[in-house]
Amino acid sequence: MKKLIAIMLTLCLCMTTCLAFAETTLKLGIYPEDVDTAAIESHETYISIFNETYPDVALERAQYKYATDTFVPLAEAGTLPTIFETWFTEPQKLIKGEFVADVTDQMEARGWLEKMNPSIRTLLSSDDGRLYGVPRDGYALGLMINVEVFEDAGLVDENGVPLYPKTWEELAEVSVKIKEATGSAGLCLLAKDNAGGWHFSNIAWCFGAVFQVQGEDGKWTAQLNTPEVVAAMEYVKDLKWKYDVLTSDPTSEDWGTGFTQLGTGAAAMYIAANDAVSQPTDNNGLAVDKLMMAGIPAGPAGAYSLFGGTPYMLSKTATAEEIDAALNYLEIMGKAPVLTETAKAGLAEDARYRKDNGIPVINEFPVWADDELVAARREVVAEYSNVDPALFDPYFDAVASEGNLKMEEPQITQDMYALLTNVLQAVVTDEAAAIQTLLDEADANFQTMLDEQINK
Amino acid sequence: MIKQTSLRKKNNHVVWKQELGSWLVMLPGILLFVFFIWEPLLEAIRLSLYEANGMRIVRFVGLDNYRSVLTQPDFLPALQNTFSYLIWSLIIGFLIPIFLAIFIQESRCGKSLYRTAVYLPNIVPSLATVFLWRYIFRSDGTGALNMLLSVFGVAPQDWLNNVSRVIPLIVIAMTWKGAGATTLLYLAGLQSIDPELFEAAIIDGANVKQRIFHITVPQIYNLARTLLILQVISVFQILYEPLVMTNGGPNNASVSLMQLVFRYAFEKYDYSRASAVSVLISIALIALTLFYNKVNKEKDM
Repeated sequence: MKKLIAIMLTLCLCMTTCLAFAETTLKLGIYPEDVDTAAIESHETYISIFNETYPDVALERAQYKYATDTFVPLAEAGTLPTIFETWFTEPQKLIKGEFVADVTDQMEARGWLEKMNPSIRTLLSSDDGRLYGVPRDGYALGLMINVEVFEDAGLVDENGVPLYPKTWEELAEVSVKIKEATGSAGLCLLAKDNAGGWHFSNIAWCFGAVFQVQGEDGKWTAQLNTPEVVAAMEYVKDLKWKYDVLTSDPTSEDWGTGFTQLGTGAAAMYIAANDAVSQPTDNNGLAVDKLMMAGIPAGPAGAYSLFGGTPYMLSKTATAEEIDAALNYLEIMGKAPVLTETAKAGLAEDARYRKDNGIPVINEFPVWADDELVAARREVVAEYSNVDPALFDPYFDAVASEGNLKMEEPQITQDMYALLTNVLQAVVTDEAAAIQTLLDEADANFQTMLDEQINK
Repeated sequence: MIKQTSLRKKNNHVVWKQELGSWLVMLPGILLFVFFIWEPLLEAIRLSLYEANGMRIVRFVGLDNYRSVLTQPDFLPALQNTFSYLIWSLIIGFLIPIFLAIFIQESRCGKSLYRTAVYLPNIVPSLATVFLWRYIFRSDGTGALNMLLSVFGVAPQDWLNNVSRVIPLIVIAMTWKGAGATTLLYLAGLQSIDPELFEAAIIDGANVKQRIFHITVPQIYNLARTLLILQVISVFQILYEPLVMTNGGPNNASVSLMQLVFRYAFEKYDYSRASAVSVLISIALIALTLFYNKVNKEKDM
């Protein structure tokens, strides 16, 4: 008898365990970090809505901050959270390395696929067109401006709006005035890591550069040493040696320090995107009404803004149900092209969070083509507005103008940025640097890499 | 005959029994070694011969990964720089601990003060040291060294931003950090020299210089030889000093081989090529060590 009971109990135990395993678990890697209490509050609101709407899904707060030293071990061990955020530089690498889940079918079933901005969809897709990520934000580079520095230099109009530069030549002139009047650098140029090449490629586009072209035979050719690239590099060289308007050591500046220089007023201008407005303000202490954004200045070949999207991605091991659960959560956060009541609440929650923390509440860069959603976003932004629209209109007007947005150069982009950063380092540390020679060398090296990795 | 065999058997049995204890003592160590060192080592060699996604092997590609890393544009500068680090570290870093040790040994007072003082930089966490020196060597008016020089009316100099200065400067920072520990090893070596040798020399009228060159140096020669090869091995794998101080710049002037491994593994998730560079580094180190031992043996004879 005892034996029988024991067997029965074991069986029961087995069954419950099996049931527990059968239940869908959403491991939420996008849950905010412990220190970010305000964001945690927002997510707790989302979670309570989620639990009410989807009671059969178990939700786990599995906060994960993407880092290159932890990602591969987690992925290989199968312990990645179901959904996590990553950097805009990573999608192609993660797709090629087969670390992330294919979400095409789930996205298609929801009708989200056709609403996605086609360029951003390309960024998150493999070569055969399968989709591996959901865009969080779109971003387009622009010129971030510290209004205080412009005020100190007397460079504001009667309404207090900075007289921001509209061309690269003007930027140099304005910078000289700023440096003379305030001692602050005009521009914070990056030259420490690949972000240097990233920003430089945007500058060079305005000078007419095309860094890589595909021939009719499908092979890619490097064009890092054309007269246009040389002209852009000469311009950077002048900023350093002729006008002397950069921060003191560009080779120690990266994406993050750039925001510190801008936020603290050590630099008046910085190339940055709309999705990073919390960096100079909340993170570096600039008052919310002292940040301005304008378009990227124009060069001889026009004005262009590099744009892309920061993605959510899902673990390779996520099941179809788990992927669906994750997409449901995004819907609640208002990050999907679906305008439900919960999504509206999510949008308002995000705007409230920004307003409470001194982060500009501004329009987002639309990643979904959904008129209702865009309208609802605008409404929320108007309701929670904490900045003077005149300070952000120049930026949104610029990126809305025909032909302004430009995708990143397509092939082995990070390698190209690394090579360009090397040249930048030589140019800003050595007044006698021979630009043509350096770029010829970079071009030859990039061609070797293209031949080895792409033109096979 | 039969008796002898059984005796040997019995002996073997006893020996085995005695050894069992020793093996048991070593077992945890051996297991850890196998798990954390030998297996990963062999795995790295294997991975370097395959194409892989992350750490999942896709297919055998022979020496393709090696060919690829050798033609990568950063490889040649990294190789040259690594040897440059090595040479500068021998010029700057090898003799300083010996001088320090002899100095401390020969000083009449304050010995323990000096001993503590030379070891202090070792207590500072490595990264803190590197950040400290980066601040000292900043190339603008805000660098500590430039501030100091400005007191004497010297204009701000390029330090880490100067292609020809960057490696020696990084080596100086490394030496500041590491010389103390080596000095203590030499001090221990010096203290083990039989004092009678010195007494005899003094009685024979030898001065300080003669005592150093005829007693001290020959007595620590073997120690210095070992420490030299250890230094070569560790400097060849230099990574975080250039990574933090210059990120390999300007224009690859301070990039090291290990930094290529780091970039392949943690920037590109390309573990095959990272393994290939690692294997090349270990081959170079084995070759250097063999060459060094051979030269030394010839000298001994």
